[in-house]
Amino acid sequence: MKESFRQSMAWLHTWTGLMFGWLLFAMFLTGTAAYFQQEISRWMRPELVANADPASATQAAINYLQARQPDAESWFITPPSARNPATEVFWQPKKVEGKPPTRRKRGETSAMLDGGGHPVTVRETRGGFFLYRFHFDLHYMPVIWARYLVGVAAMFMLVAILSGIVTHKKIFADFFMLRFGKGQRSWLDAHNVTAAFALPFYLMITYTGLVTLAAQYMPWGVMANYASTDTFFEELFPGNTDVPRSGVAAPLVSVSPLMAIASRTWGGAAVGSIQVTNPGDSTAIITLRRSATTAIGARGESIVFAGSSGRLLDRHAPDGGALATQSVMVGLHAGRYADWGLRWLYFLSGVGGTIMVGSGLVLWTVKRRAKLPDPTHPHFGFRLVERLNIAAIAGLPAGLAAYFLANRLLPIAMADRAEWEINSLFLTWAGVLLWACARPQRRAWVESLSCAAALFVAVPIVNTLTVPRNMLTGLMTGDWLFVAFDMAMVALAFALGWAARKAERAKPKAMRGTRSNGKELIAA
Amino acid sequence: MAVPPTRTGIARQRLHVLARAIAAIIGGYVVTALAVACLARLLPMRPAEASIAATLASFAIYAGIIVAIFWAKSMLRVCMGLGSALLLLGAALYLSILIGGRL
Repeated sequence: MKESFRQSMAWLHTWTGLMFGWLLFAMFLTGTAAYFQQEISRWMRPELVANADPASATQAAINYLQARQPDAESWFITPPSARNPATEVFWQPKKVEGKPPTRRKRGETSAMLDGGGHPVTVRETRGGFFLYRFHFDLHYMPVIWARYLVGVAAMFMLVAILSGIVTHKKIFADFFMLRFGKGQRSWLDAHNVTAAFALPFYLMITYTGLVTLAAQYMPWGVMANYASTDTFFEELFPGNTDVPRSGVAAPLVSVSPLMAIASRTWGGAAVGSIQVTNPGDSTAIITLRRSATTAIGARGESIVFAGSSGRLLDRHAPDGGALATQSVMVGLHAGRYADWGLRWLYFLSGVGGTIMVGSGLVLWTVKRRAKLPDPTHPHFGFRLVERLNIAAIAGLPAGLAAYFLANRLLPIAMADRAEWEINSLFLTWAGVLLWACARPQRRAWVESLSCAAALFVAVPIVNTLTVPRNMLTGLMTGDWLFVAFDMAMVALAFALGWAARKAERAKPKAMRGTRSNGKELIAA
Repeated sequence: MAVPPTRTGIARQRLHVLARAIAAIIGGYVVTALAVACLARLLPMRPAEASIAATLASFAIYAGIIVAIFWAKSMLRVCMGLGSALLLLGAALYLSILIGGRL
């Protein structure tokens, strides 16, 4: 169909990139933000300050659950950690005979507790967790379909990366080649530099992303050997089968000694979560899982104790090379093991990927504009791409800023408050799309980018006016989270404002809408 | 861009692209699924391990097939390649189930 391998790959790269570029941009942006999901959540719950001892907080949480959910099927407890000061609990309510389990709202089966086991009063928000979930579950649509869509996009991304490597064979040379103010050439350079900047990261993140949801996308490997996925998981993780309650009441042993034993067994690694099945019954079982922060592999070790006696029943560690490989792949994607230095590297690589996708999308229009029969009146397809580019690249950041602003501005007692924070994000995004369609494209770029920049500037200001914690108080009391968050908002505002100014000043001939803070990133 | 494309030329080109895309996306997926199932049964490991190993490799296999289909010289070669892969993998899977089913 095409003359050479490179040409056919260039063609494949252009069109696979365009087909899912907008969705990939959104996935990259929110996924990148999700590397700081705990910090974003803490910023969005400014009331939460307590930092409790994990062992005593866990015991307090168990006392809380014992008082309120004594007959639940199981309890799950996430003790406080360095990145999350609250104890998070949720439970599986008792099954009613002959009735399928009813779907309940989030708040009905979960709670957030302080170190003393008292529910904390925080504003209703989904925090950074929403951004994490959005990057593969999307929103306003069934999760299962969202995940198929995201999987197809990721597969397109993988093909776009592979064909892109072939197309830009001088990757190493491209890394040092960034020509400013040269119109199309600059866009190509920006795309190449951000692509070469963290190419192994993009390949890794795309592939491991597919692996995290492989059970849905590629069930055939399991189906070839097992009649059902349940038997597969039972063989993989034995001892997870449900044991019916005996009906004989037995109090639970104290949990902190068990946590100490577990920690010693794992060479000092912290306990990441505690699960209690059949609480209060003689058949109760306490399972402790290793914290994800202490090793790359996402499938950590676990240790199982009898709930009534505290006797050690079992110990599990991932067994087998393939399982360990999968565990490391999933762990590499989520980056839960990363400490601050590595976390920022993850974040910067993610920013690079976001810019790579964004600049690729802009490049599509830049390359084609000059070749249009009548550049002042482009055809519909071209205009559509142009407008969707503006909406995706300027609109989602604007929406993100609106999400943060809504967190501070919506009334605390508002019904469905968390949902309205999310609606604010999408309403803003839709607003930018409408604006982009209504205005001439150059003006639309300048105005949308300026609007996004202004919204990000507003975040620290609104925060200072509505909440007692901010950059100044943070500097004085060592509340670094609020210092860093405000600085990140200002940095984002600066980058978007700079892009708007570039778009404003670019000569009409060379101007195809500007957002090239890839250059900034490399220069930094 | 040397020769201005004609209307029928564009239509033919688009049809061609559509055929390749269908072959790559659907044909490629079916071949991948069969290859993964075969690997899961034939890799010399425990069944659970073999299943996971095959699944981990699946996306690389799929991507490789897609690239190959767009690279191929003609649609005829694509069809021949896909057809023989389907036959070969299908037969291997069938025989493996027939001889010693792990199910």
